[in-house]
Amino acid sequence: MAYILFTLSVLLVMGFVGFSSKPSPIYGGLALIISGVVGCVIVLNCGGVYMGLMMFLVYLGGMMVVFGYTTAMAIEEYPETWGSGLEVLGGLLVGLMMEVMLVLWVLSLDEAVVVVVGFSDTGDWVIFEGEGSGLIRGDSIGAGALYDYGRWLVVVAGWTLFVGVYVVIEIVRGN
Amino acid sequence: MTLTYMNIMLAFTISLLGMLTYRSHLVASLLCLEGMMMSLFIMATLIASNTHFPLVNIMPIILLVFAACETAVGLALLISISNTYGLDYVHNLNLLQC
Repeated sequence: MAYILFTLSVLLVMGFVGFSSKPSPIYGGLALIISGVVGCVIVLNCGGVYMGLMMFLVYLGGMMVVFGYTTAMAIEEYPETWGSGLEVLGGLLVGLMMEVMLVLWVLSLDEAVVVVVGFSDTGDWVIFEGEGSGLIRGDSIGAGALYDYGRWLVVVAGWTLFVGVYVVIEIVRGN
Repeated sequence: MTLTYMNIMLAFTISLLGMLTYRSHLVASLLCLEGMMMSLFIMATLIASNTHFPLVNIMPIILLVFAACETAVGLALLISISNTYGLDYVHNLNLLQC
């Protein structure tokens, strides 16, 4: 249970290898959604509850849905999955083997005295809390400070979104 | 924790390599771009939680805003390519022959 964060990060890399080996985009979208879920659980394990919720709502629930039906519009009749064809399967296996060998190499560094990526002390994993998990969660307070210290940033971001929508309309209009 | 950071940076590099190589579809490169943004979001949130610096949490939120803009523009380009050529195959984009 102490190594849950490391295991989740290894699963994240494997999910990223899954869509970087370029199968058909509908399967790539599936791998990205699974990677997003794993990444959200990583964020939750470090106490970032609001950030995990943001990622689920905005990223997976907004952008991936748009990706899903855009991909459904521009897809061929027989999409190639990870098992069909040697290129995608080869890329996936090379990526997974790279990750497994990296994890085994890092695990074997336990007995070194001075090492950058040491694995032996638990002090790496413990996140100290001052007063326990109280009523004020750090990430929601920090993101709420966007509207206090970052007033101008909110105005700029809102204007960027508005101009972005206008750019999208002009691109799609064509002719 | 350094190992988790190493894995997240590795995920970013793998997505970067996936974005820079083209196979047949253009939307697969856009998916790898989304993966890069997601790994940056996770990394920034972990740093904000582990260094107990809550104000840094503004940065992933703003990164998400601008990544959404970028996704919208990328998908709009994809739609206009798909309207012209039928599919988003990369070898259809051959007007520039040099």
